[in-house]
Amino acid sequence: MSVLKIENVSYVYGPKTPFEVTALKDVNIQINENRITGIIGHTGSGKSTLVQMFNGLIRPTSGRILLDGEDIWEKPKEIGKVRFRVGLVMQYPEYQLFEETVRKDIAYGPSNMGLDEAQIQERVLRAIEFVGLEKSMLDKSPFDLSGGQKRRAAIAGVMAMEPEILVLDEPAAGLDPAGRSSIFKGIVRYAKERGASVIIVSHSMEDMARYCDDLIVMNNGELFMAGDKNEIFSKGEELKSIGLDVPQITEFVLELEKYGIYLGRDIYTVEAAYNALLKLFGGDIV
Amino acid sequence: MNIALGQYYPSKSVMHRLDPRMKFILAIVYIVAGFVCKNVLSFALLLVSTLLLIIISRIPIKTVLGSIKAILFIMIFTAIINIFLSTGEGDPLFEWRFIKIYESGLYNAGFIVIRIFAMIIGASIFLTYTTTPIQLTDAIERLFSPLKVLRVPVHEFAMMMTIALRFIPTIVEETEKIMAAQKARGANFSEGSVFKRIKALIPIIIPLFVSAFRRAGDLATAMTCRCYRGGKGRTRMTVLKLKVRDFAALALMVAFVAGIVVINIVNIGYTMN
Amino acid sequence: MAFIEVKNLSYAYGGEGDSPVYALNNLSFEIEKGEYVAILGHNGSGKSTFAKLLTMVIDDYDYLSGNIYVDGVDILSEDISEDEIFELRKRVGMVFQNPDNQLVATVVEEDVAFGPENLGIERSEIRRRVDEALQTVGMTKYAKHEPHRLSGGQKQRVAIAGIIAMMPECMIFDESTAMLDPMGRREVISTVEKLNRESGITTINITHYMDEAARADRIIVFNNGSVILKGTPKEVFAQSEIMRAAGLDLPQCIDLAEKLKKNGVALKGDITNPYQCAEAVAAALKDK
Repeated sequence: MSVLKIENVSYVYGPKTPFEVTALKDVNIQINENRITGIIGHTGSGKSTLVQMFNGLIRPTSGRILLDGEDIWEKPKEIGKVRFRVGLVMQYPEYQLFEETVRKDIAYGPSNMGLDEAQIQERVLRAIEFVGLEKSMLDKSPFDLSGGQKRRAAIAGVMAMEPEILVLDEPAAGLDPAGRSSIFKGIVRYAKERGASVIIVSHSMEDMARYCDDLIVMNNGELFMAGDKNEIFSKGEELKSIGLDVPQITEFVLELEKYGIYLGRDIYTVEAAYNALLKLFGGDIV
Repeated sequence: MNIALGQYYPSKSVMHRLDPRMKFILAIVYIVAGFVCKNVLSFALLLVSTLLLIIISRIPIKTVLGSIKAILFIMIFTAIINIFLSTGEGDPLFEWRFIKIYESGLYNAGFIVIRIFAMIIGASIFLTYTTTPIQLTDAIERLFSPLKVLRVPVHEFAMMMTIALRFIPTIVEETEKIMAAQKARGANFSEGSVFKRIKALIPIIIPLFVSAFRRAGDLATAMTCRCYRGGKGRTRMTVLKLKVRDFAALALMVAFVAGIVVINIVNIGYTMN
Repeated sequence: MAFIEVKNLSYAYGGEGDSPVYALNNLSFEIEKGEYVAILGHNGSGKSTFAKLLTMVIDDYDYLSGNIYVDGVDILSEDISEDEIFELRKRVGMVFQNPDNQLVATVVEEDVAFGPENLGIERSEIRRRVDEALQTVGMTKYAKHEPHRLSGGQKQRVAIAGIIAMMPECMIFDESTAMLDPMGRREVISTVEKLNRESGITTINITHYMDEAARADRIIVFNNGSVILKGTPKEVFAQSEIMRAAGLDLPQCIDLAEKLKKNGVALKGDITNPYQCAEAVAAALKDK
């Protein structure tokens, strides 16, 4: 089942000016329920425009966006409600922190929803648990946190709205490996515990391979491919043809084919490659 | 955003190629000329000269007219004041209760409109339409460099202007991003009382300030690492050189002002008091 | 003597009260002239603090001990003069993380000229250097563009051009690719490598990307303010446990190769990228 459906959506920036740019061309996408969907593509492939359409920050020039079968732009005045149902974490979200304390900052979204204080505090506590922030951080100034902690606090600020669909644009950009995995683990935890669908935009194919179920590939404002991740990563050569990175293991598998060794194109993780190679070397699977 | 009055219009016209320092001087002389005009003929000459400037700089009339919108209100307002408040000699052209409109009032209104139009459009042609902000900053730094003797921090001032110009687009972009991010958290900037709307801006203003300070710090470090230590001992890659065309432009401008002065003395047609 | 020599360097931030927070703890290592060294470490491992000390942009030297020698000059010495610092900055250039916060001018070529102008170099020479620098980073086409219209990778290349126009002997990249997309990263890294190879500029790339570090001559791994590993990429990546404990993941192919080797598969040669890995695996299968 799909919760979010993008129907024939196009978007033009600055129409009828010399700076007119078509960001999206007749895009059709389905986001499946309770799945983690990854969106990949170059900078300028239209993916940032696309994610801002999911929660009604950008209104399509043409086409419809259906949330549970209803056009989100049916009543433009109520677009605010859509933003509570589809939570968006923008790139470098730590730059949006503004409150005196982490607690107040995380509470900003929920209090805009008009919840009462007790509910808000409950949500704040749940949110920091998802992202793995200590309770003791809550009464600190967000500006005193480390880079990774700021990022987690900012993501918690959107999670606290407890959206049915959580959309994140490059949630781990600029973080080191440990920071990256802690962010992604928090996202997966949120998806599982809230029964939410998650959409993640990322450049890191390794992270996509590890955490996503479905993948959407954008290229030049158009949908290039969409499907289950095994299916998409088995088309490593096509991904490379539009200049995208592929997981190192995919690269390795493709390279190995040049030596006449075929491991199978559905292999894109270290474990899978290791197991396949051990068989070839005649060893036992450990 | 409609700030057309201050927007550079790229082209390769003679006007664009003039030395920015010369254009700075020409703009000031042109404004003075606007004040000198007194009678019908001199104002007519002023209007024609402005149109000529537009043609020479190859800026589409549409662009110029579009930018007048910003000053249209001032023009109409001053015109009306002049029409109704002028008390001329002789009989009024029109009279209704206490409102009396004299011929001189109409003339004065026309003159004022031409003056505002000519001075603003003329100055923007010299200074903004055909001159990039960086050229202008450069011109100001060099024109005022003699003031360094008086310990006026001319270089520092120009550097500040350059950095401001460099960062305006970056900060505009950042404002848009932060606004989108807060909207995604349910912020509403367009509803509620004035007080509510101002309060709604806090989540934008604070992150903007924080980021501006961070940028300033980063930039200062980067400049230090690139051996910046003020204007002392600094050379410049581009050096402005006055060319024949700059002097020709100056000569034309002088002739133009002289023409207006002569016309004023000869005194043809209605004269402003 | 090596070009850069770090000796028993410790540094702490003056925290509140009387307990300073140690950012660097007794570091010692050397970097030779012309070398390409990657400094790896997670966020907060002290690698950026080290970069700041090396470029002398820290004012508070209260909790500092040890020395950094650049070409024999003790740059942390208290009696180093302003002029000496100026000379050193000329020789050691630095490219920072955020591409937006290091460009000064509103036109690309003016920005590249900024450094040489500060050095008081003669006009025609600045022109020559700016043109050459833009050529080196492949940005000649954009000489008259406004920086804010460029992509992240292009901005970083302009920043690099601004440094090479000062003709430094050494360049430090402080997480200069962290904010870029994969294409921008590739552009910057290939520029960095070209500079090192063709112009012999000593290069220090401070990063947390393993694949970048894998391409350096040598890797120094920081963890909690100390150096925990140093050596060639091959030597360093062989210590997978230590790397993981320091919060650093191995590149997938190196990880795979290490796993295979532990299982008795004999892989020969250096393995730092997928191509070498495939070659070694193919060779091993043939020998079997």
